[in-house]
Amino acid sequence: MTLTQKGRWITLVALMCLAAVYVRALAFTPVERLQGLAQKIFYLHVPAAIWTETAMILVGLASIFYLFLKDARLDRFAEASAEVGTVFATIVLTTGPIWGKPIWGTWWTWDARLTATLLLFFLYVGYLLVRGAVRDPGLRARYAAVLGICGMCLVPFIHLSVFMFRTLHPQPIILKPSAPSLPGSMLATWLLSLAAFTLLYVGFVTQRYALSLMRDAHGGGSPSHV
Amino acid sequence: MSDVPQNAGYMVAAYVVTAVILVAYAVSLYRRSNQS
Repeated sequence: MTLTQKGRWITLVALMCLAAVYVRALAFTPVERLQGLAQKIFYLHVPAAIWTETAMILVGLASIFYLFLKDARLDRFAEASAEVGTVFATIVLTTGPIWGKPIWGTWWTWDARLTATLLLFFLYVGYLLVRGAVRDPGLRARYAAVLGICGMCLVPFIHLSVFMFRTLHPQPIILKPSAPSLPGSMLATWLLSLAAFTLLYVGFVTQRYALSLMRDAHGGGSPSHV
Repeated sequence: MSDVPQNAGYMVAAYVVTAVILVAYAVSLYRRSNQS
């Protein structure tokens, strides 16, 4: 089985898991009394946000190691992780305002968490634009690595921004030092969704990595060729 | 139940948008790898 096929299978399983999340969230998870059905956006928004941030941390780590080791595999992984992170960031930045409108009364507010997340999205887009704009493979990998490390440095700020500033965005109810403040059935649905998004990340990155591998094999230019 | 806010449309919109983004990206990866 090729890497592309493995990625496709993982993605297929992940999409089936996501379908199960939809069924469980809509039919078998209780409705939150204060927020109503809009609260169920939580089951998609938060796992997507976690993987948006994790993908950028992995881009940053791969970039640091790339700058030391000059291993083309690290550059390929960073590229794949950045593209998938951009997709998840798009989900976060669309589901967030859709959730915010009925709860906060506004689609968007320029508070620290939202603004920093938008900045992370622009960093992701900038990272992909740099990769598309620079023709020299070695330079492309180095420039992209610097942007990837900048993006990684932004992630802790995003996570801690709700503690550092007065924001409209709520504080974490799961990723916090104390136990999650969620009923068991809601937590189970959320964990299933996190598993689905984890599989989606792995499946997408595997396929995207295989694409880069094929591009390099056809002379697209991996940094190791320089 | 009457106290619960009636905002199902927002939930449906978010779920549809998420599905569209993910499936569109999966299809894009499939097409790009077939073209390579």
